[in-house]
Amino acid sequence: MTQLGAFKKMKELMTLYYIEAKTAADKPIAWLTSGAPVEFVYAMGAIPVYPENYAAMCAAGHQSVALMEAAEAAGFSQDICAYARTDFGQDLVRGGPAGGLPAPQFLVCSTNICKTVIKWYEVVARKYQVPLFVVDTPFLHDGLTPGLVDYVVAQFRQLERFLESMLQKPFDRDRLIEVIRLSRQATGLWRKILDLGRTVPVPFTSLDAFIHIAPIVTLRGTQACVDYYQLLYDEVSGRAERRIGSVPDERYRILWDNLPIWFKMRRFEKFFDERRCALAAATYANSWGGLADFAGIQTRDAMEALAVSYLNIYINYGFEQRIRYLARLIDEFSLTGFIMHSNRSCKPYSVGMYRLKEELARLTGKPGVVIEADQNDPRVFADAQVEARLDAFIESMAPVA
Amino acid sequence: MFTPFYAAIADISATIRRHRDRLGRPVIGVLPAYFPLELIHAAGGYPVQLWGAGVAIDHAEAYLQPYCCSVARSVLELEMRGSAELIRAYVFTSLCDTLINLRELYRRLFDKPILGLSFPVTQTAEGRRAFLVDAAEEIIKGLEAVTGRRVSPDALRESAGQFGQLRSLQRELYRLRRERPGAVKNADFHAVLKAGFFLPVEEYGRLLESLLAGLESLEAPAGRRPRVVLSGMVFDPLEAQRLFDEIGADVVDDDFASGWRTVSKATLQVDDPVEGIAEHVFGGAPCCCIHHPKNDRHDYLVNKIRDAGADGVVFWYVKFCEPDAFDRPQLLARLKQEGIPATVVEMDLSMKSVESLRTRIQAFCEMIGGLEI
Repeated sequence: MTQLGAFKKMKELMTLYYIEAKTAADKPIAWLTSGAPVEFVYAMGAIPVYPENYAAMCAAGHQSVALMEAAEAAGFSQDICAYARTDFGQDLVRGGPAGGLPAPQFLVCSTNICKTVIKWYEVVARKYQVPLFVVDTPFLHDGLTPGLVDYVVAQFRQLERFLESMLQKPFDRDRLIEVIRLSRQATGLWRKILDLGRTVPVPFTSLDAFIHIAPIVTLRGTQACVDYYQLLYDEVSGRAERRIGSVPDERYRILWDNLPIWFKMRRFEKFFDERRCALAAATYANSWGGLADFAGIQTRDAMEALAVSYLNIYINYGFEQRIRYLARLIDEFSLTGFIMHSNRSCKPYSVGMYRLKEELARLTGKPGVVIEADQNDPRVFADAQVEARLDAFIESMAPVA
Repeated sequence: MFTPFYAAIADISATIRRHRDRLGRPVIGVLPAYFPLELIHAAGGYPVQLWGAGVAIDHAEAYLQPYCCSVARSVLELEMRGSAELIRAYVFTSLCDTLINLRELYRRLFDKPILGLSFPVTQTAEGRRAFLVDAAEEIIKGLEAVTGRRVSPDALRESAGQFGQLRSLQRELYRLRRERPGAVKNADFHAVLKAGFFLPVEEYGRLLESLLAGLESLEAPAGRRPRVVLSGMVFDPLEAQRLFDEIGADVVDDDFASGWRTVSKATLQVDDPVEGIAEHVFGGAPCCCIHHPKNDRHDYLVNKIRDAGADGVVFWYVKFCEPDAFDRPQLLARLKQEGIPATVVEMDLSMKSVESLRTRIQAFCEMIGGLEI
């Protein structure tokens, strides 16, 4: 990955985060999905833990197979999401870089990333006999409507009552507003960092974003998160100003769609570097920028802003909206082509992708490729096959002007 | 007695065409699951239920990966190869991630109207209601646009009555199967259910009534054979259901989305259609696709097995269904705790032969019921 001074700080931050989660005896632990409105949880002083983030860490550290095998031995089918299998595995054998996640006292999941998380969290709820709160963010077949925003805001009110009963204290609305402000600041900085991908050459690639995404997932809503992304922004914007690229002699600028392939980060970095390809934009990394759109949040409309930002997530979009968004990225980031990861573990991202690829290529005139892989399961990944497809795709691209 | 049902499913297109021409109602294809068919009928449509088909996947390969379930792939295959020309419009629900995206894919690929009803996942009655007010209005408008007819309160009441009566007749058939194991062959039972996917409500109701009258005096065969409950999303392939008859085991009840989970739905309440739709989705038997902690699948399944006097459970797993697969290990553990034997058979609707399932089902039936071979 691009050598960044901030990296060390991020490692520290994440280590501290996991140490606190593992050792905090006085604060309740909540397990959350990556798209859950964590602001409410922070406002009440509970510690949010993210099985998705942990599963990704396990895969990036090449520890996911053993954990998935443990889950499969316990009866979980290989047909289910590899994140969920990795999570069930870490829970069974206390494995992965942090030696397993601390047990939850309650669960909050949101359907904006998939409906499958409901099944995953039902399993956890049953195992630990803890309450599960679902924040339902319906799929935007026809875009956002005021009715959908009201529906989500109404659930936020219920979430407050739920948290009051979990933590045995009144909900702290003032603290929530403060947390939302911090969350918005962090997502704003994150968005600004990702937008620097428009620079030629790219100073911070999508592969870098996948590494530096951990705090925005796990710590948004904290001051530490804001400070970290300020540090990272300063460093990356400095590179952008000085036109320092991440990829030597950048020739191609590419969009990455779908989750990273966590266990191939190093190999992909080398592969793309050698071919002078910079991954300049990624729909996945962009998914945590929504709140940035609400510059002047007031107490009155904070709930609406939050509802909109959690509904407006790329994989919660209908296809028309997805295509328009992808085309806009290709245009605004001066991209030469796009890679779509057909991800066995993520149906909302992947089902229908072949059609999206056809339409996007037609609309933008840019070549695209679909590769068959999985975010977390190396056993269904074939290097030679994937790289041969990528090579053919790279040959089909016209280099950046 | 079962001939008309087999006739209806022998050539499904011919069946649908005949009734469509007779009724003059536009055919509306309904994807899994729990869409209130009453709404379509009240709008003057002819709903047919699409639970997948045993066809080879050729065209659909271009748009759906092999890791998508064979329900989605086969339904798309039929439309792409031109075998679904009778279907004027499609209706989806938000049952799972695959079907949510399939609805979007259909909108990109086909000119036919693609309608949908998303189910609210929230647990409070107010939350469901808030969501469904808009959703119900939208789907009704969509149906009216397809059929050119208004959904009047009277029409809705009439349709709700008819479908409610239909499901109550189906429940009679279920009761008979439970109380008189073996009186109805398993393949015949499922042929009856499957015919209901495609026959119009009036015709199907008449056939069911006469079937039930004919079965009234039928006794269960003497001797006790192994008794099983089946659990899964779809009960197809029908040929696989026949295996139980050939092996000599009695299926006494089921927990299929395309079976009891649908059949158990009460008569749609029409005084308050929004409330009625919510009750339709969340009421009745629990389903792995409907988050409803107060309607627990574990207790439900254990009670079902006990009530039916079954010896064990066969999980009927049509590949790649995540909602189904997620629940299974904990369900199996609970059954084990209760001392109820269970097994899992994996399949694909497009499988060329069901023979591979025979050994497993047979071994299980021998184990639970002392079946002699």
